[in-house]
Amino acid sequence: MMTYIVFILSVIFVVSFVGFSSKPSPIYGGLVLIVSGAVGCGIVLSFGGSFLGLMVFLTYLGGMLVVFGYTTAMATEQYPEVWVSNKAVLACLLSELLTACHILKGDDIEVEVVLKFNGAGDWVIYDTGDSGFFSEEAMGIAALYSYGTWLVIVTGWSLLIGVLVIMEVTRGN
Amino acid sequence: MSMVYINIFLAFTLSFMGLLIYRSHLMSSLLCLEGMMLSLFIMMTVTILVNHFTLASMAPIVLLVFAACEAALGLSLLVMVSNTYGTDYVQNLNLLQC
Repeated sequence: MMTYIVFILSVIFVVSFVGFSSKPSPIYGGLVLIVSGAVGCGIVLSFGGSFLGLMVFLTYLGGMLVVFGYTTAMATEQYPEVWVSNKAVLACLLSELLTACHILKGDDIEVEVVLKFNGAGDWVIYDTGDSGFFSEEAMGIAALYSYGTWLVIVTGWSLLIGVLVIMEVTRGN
Repeated sequence: MSMVYINIFLAFTLSFMGLLIYRSHLMSSLLCLEGMMLSLFIMMTVTILVNHFTLASMAPIVLLVFAACEAALGLSLLVMVSNTYGTDYVQNLNLLQC
């Protein structure tokens, strides 16, 4: 079962996506999005990307969802509705569980939708060569400041323009 | 490709359908947009980590930063709608209706 932990995490990911895509009140949607962000961080961590998992928690959950939370609290004041008997939710959950059971049933499962999905190499990360004593993912992100200097300049400038646009939109008339 | 991708594609498609189908709140569609960004981030990160594309590791961070900016812009529009109409119901946005 431990070899399929990534697949089970992705099943929980899809189930929580169903939870907010069926659109209950935004407060509950935000709560379920927090859960799906945490599960997505678990998927990234089990592939060895520790810095990018931390980025999910800091930037996504800590920054964006907090802003969503208090905007929801400010802009929508009424009695929030829960997930009533929504047939679409049940259909999505059922189809997802059927897919998961079919895939987990045996080895050498192959699914073809548009591309060929093969579960053969699922529990191993291909390691070609020695990466030494440093984590190559963190080194790739650190390269943002050496190889990606122009990228940082363009991104920073466009974000500054974006902030000015938001201020103009909020000023209104 | 590995089996994890099926579920991440499915999650992207689900939140895309959720974005297109309105219920009553504009805020729920913005949350579905955030879900799309999260599933794209996870897909990009998993691809980069499995294939050891070291230099491409900065791409998920840039994606997340621009998704934050876009979320802020969407929220500012929602705040303006809510200031005009009191709530953020989608049926309030009917100035172009006959």
